[in-house]
Amino acid sequence: MKRLVVKYELLNLRREKLLLLLFAASSLFAVLAFYNGYRFSQNQALAVTAAQQEQQTANNTIRQGLAERQARQGPLNWWDDKHDLRGQAFYLMVNYATKAPLPTAAIAVGQADIQPYFFRMLVTEKQHVLHQYDYTHPLALLLGQLDLAFVIIYLLPLLLIGACFNALSEEKQSGQLRIMMLQGISPATLVAAQILVRAGAVMVPFLLISNLCLWLFSPGITFISLLIFSLLVLLYTGFWLALTAWVISLGKNAANNAARLVTAWLGLVIIVPAVLNILIMTLNPSPSRLVYVDQMRSHTDKVNQQAAQTLANFFQDHPELAKTGTATNDYATSKIAKILAVEQAMQPFDDAFVKVLHKQNQQAGWLKHLSPATLLHAALIDLAGNGQLRHQAFMQEVQQHHQKLQTYFASRIALAAQNGDFAPCSGCNARVTLADASDIPVFSSQASLLPIPYGAMLMLVLLIVLLTFASTKALSKMHQAQSQTVLV
Amino acid sequence: MLVEMLKKEWLESARQGQLGWVGITLLILLLAALASGWYTSSEQQSLYQDVTNAERHRWLHQGEKGPHSAAHYGVYVIKPSSHLSVLDPGLSEYQGKVLRLEAHKQNDSLFRPSQDSIAMQRFGQLSPAFVVQMLMPLLIILMGHALLAAERQQGTLRQLLASGVSTAKLMMAKGGTLYLTTMLFAAPVLLFALYSQVTASQGQGGRTLLFISGYSLYLFIWCALTLLLSSWMRTPRQALVWLLAIWAVSSLLLPRLAMTSATDQFPIQSGREFAAKLESEIYTPERLQAIQEFKQNTLQAHGVSSTDELPFDWSGAQLQFGEQYSDQVFDRLYGQRAVLLNKQTDAYQSAAVLSPFIALQSVSMAASATDLRHHQLFEDAAEQHRRVMQATLNNYQRDHAKQSQGAFQAGQSLWEQIPAFSFSYPRIGPLLGHYLTPLLSLATWALLLLIALCFAARRLQKEML
Repeated sequence: MKRLVVKYELLNLRREKLLLLLFAASSLFAVLAFYNGYRFSQNQALAVTAAQQEQQTANNTIRQGLAERQARQGPLNWWDDKHDLRGQAFYLMVNYATKAPLPTAAIAVGQADIQPYFFRMLVTEKQHVLHQYDYTHPLALLLGQLDLAFVIIYLLPLLLIGACFNALSEEKQSGQLRIMMLQGISPATLVAAQILVRAGAVMVPFLLISNLCLWLFSPGITFISLLIFSLLVLLYTGFWLALTAWVISLGKNAANNAARLVTAWLGLVIIVPAVLNILIMTLNPSPSRLVYVDQMRSHTDKVNQQAAQTLANFFQDHPELAKTGTATNDYATSKIAKILAVEQAMQPFDDAFVKVLHKQNQQAGWLKHLSPATLLHAALIDLAGNGQLRHQAFMQEVQQHHQKLQTYFASRIALAAQNGDFAPCSGCNARVTLADASDIPVFSSQASLLPIPYGAMLMLVLLIVLLTFASTKALSKMHQAQSQTVLV
Repeated sequence: MLVEMLKKEWLESARQGQLGWVGITLLILLLAALASGWYTSSEQQSLYQDVTNAERHRWLHQGEKGPHSAAHYGVYVIKPSSHLSVLDPGLSEYQGKVLRLEAHKQNDSLFRPSQDSIAMQRFGQLSPAFVVQMLMPLLIILMGHALLAAERQQGTLRQLLASGVSTAKLMMAKGGTLYLTTMLFAAPVLLFALYSQVTASQGQGGRTLLFISGYSLYLFIWCALTLLLSSWMRTPRQALVWLLAIWAVSSLLLPRLAMTSATDQFPIQSGREFAAKLESEIYTPERLQAIQEFKQNTLQAHGVSSTDELPFDWSGAQLQFGEQYSDQVFDRLYGQRAVLLNKQTDAYQSAAVLSPFIALQSVSMAASATDLRHHQLFEDAAEQHRRVMQATLNNYQRDHAKQSQGAFQAGQSLWEQIPAFSFSYPRIGPLLGHYLTPLLSLATWALLLLIALCFAARRLQKEML
């Protein structure tokens, strides 16, 4: 009997040409969205590779130009000298910290278009290093990318609602339902068959195409990633189907169902996330960047005014670098001391931003459960490696790397100054203090673990079960009521 | 008769209880967005003043030092907000607010607020503009999709027409009520725009006018479209499905597609490539050669053989020459990037022909001075200020350093010669040429829909006869 209902539904869809329409729309969205997400991640991957190549080339140039530099007679400014530790540290160094996109990156661009994914490192205040960003049209950031996550979160529910909202109600209105019931078909069976067949026309091509594209074009993608992706999509769309079934089970006409479902979509996908965002931001406002700039300037001025004290503090903190008194007159050591002093003074302000962001993320982590859209969004961008979790880890690694570079240059510059390498004689060039850049620390990032969003999946399963239970109950009531009418 | 019909339609809308709570929710959202925007903006405004004053004080009281040290010390300038940015923050969250002006470098603005935000921001920022542009059309659709389709389905349309009412008057009454109700919901935004005009600087009336007329036209378009489809479709269900599909395509899908296509058509270099190109094109052997030639020419012009014999300080002249050399490279490279970005904007705006959302969004951001073009105006003004600053400092060193004994130092009198940076958004009139496509699109949409409604009224009259 169930097979008959499915066959009847398929025939209906074919007659209305809806099957083809749904199939085409869903396939088109899958291809378009994958292409956009993929293109975005490829551009980032290319930028990361180019940065690594630039770094390699710069290191080779240092090695290859050594003989020429050693033979050089004419004057050479240290800030133009690739073989001078100071020139490298403050101006010339090509040393990148990069975050390469994961194989799953095409799923959701997430925050990857806003958050920086590469930093050119120099020995300067980390506050100057960490606020670089890639330049893109700001309108593209405001609108967001047309990636798989966008299609899944926004468009698939609309397609499903559009395909399913008149299930059962058409049969009820035309009187066909009574005839079907006489043949032993319950409203629940009919709704289930109709919804599943129509959803199949949307979901099967979408999942097949998106998984196939990810598997073919994203080398290194694992089976488990694809499985999590598919499960998340199925559970999210499952929620919308269960909601549709529940609305239908209330027994109103098709127009009413459509209005209710669209209002629910509007509420859950557009209004709730926007309200949650503004709520979180209002409850935990970020400190002002204008005040940050103001403080940075004040502290830099203070440090510069107290240069001697700053340097004394530096040597007190780093006694290993203060073997002789000669170092105290060195410009570069003094500059590094000032950089460290400014960084230290600004640390509470940086911490304030981190603290607020942490709090915002913590609240978002709880409040995201209020809408399946926010729940899925967080899960998908984490799966794609373009969420806050991976970015925060990356930023910590960048800061550690910056610190390593500072330590590396501070100790070598102090040593070179003590040896008199920067001023071997009056009016002559500094000695070569950097013959080979291969021992300059290179950024390395720890591979992040694949986040399995158990919480999101459980929540979605729970919602589906609850809605299915409620609709089954309502439909069985409807069955009883209709049966009595049929009997009368 | 028309007044009677308007009253009847008004009563019917008021009776539609299920819509009441949707409308109230939207109104609450709108008021919340307005309050939050106003609070943030006034806080920002006060900080803007404080930090700008502090920065100016720092510059003037930086103490005695070499002019070139002061050039490296530089200043930070802050982008001001326009009076309408409370209503439409546009791209403000995605563009830096602060710009550092210093020697040898043209910088991009710093600190995009979006970088300090959580991922949930990508669902949209709840601003008054977001509510009216995105959500208000849905309210119109929910309120209006059944206006004529339901009357037709229930058979009351024929009865109404039989009582002597013309279809034109009927549609005018239904459309009028729908538009009036919509404008009532949008009133807080439009009134706030008028109110903010009071506090705005002179010459900004055009922006307020553009803002109010843009939104009025946009809401009219959605009302007209809803009425048109309601008159065309056999059932309210069909009308609803079509209207929702049009809304989803024009407000959700098309803007993203248009922007993706625009960035594909006119790609810009990544930040890394751009920075590397800047560096490689400024610090070249040609630059060293140009400096050498400048030196030779200067020596020749003054009939001397070494820079020490020049009647002025050579290092100041050389620094200024270096700045001017770099400025040419900046003009070329930043200029190329700006051209590409503007082409992206134009390509996006051309999609306004298909989407009233894109048309209004562009017009609204233009009126509120929160789009990329206004950001570029700020950056250009800041760059001009930087160049004036560098020229003043370098020329001072050139003209005065020669007379000094030991290291040359300047003081507050020089710092005062550099005026405080001041930027205000220009009148919108001369900029309108950049927004012709969205403006014409809005007007064309409205006109075409009006004509279509006239045809629909005649068609309906014939159908019912």
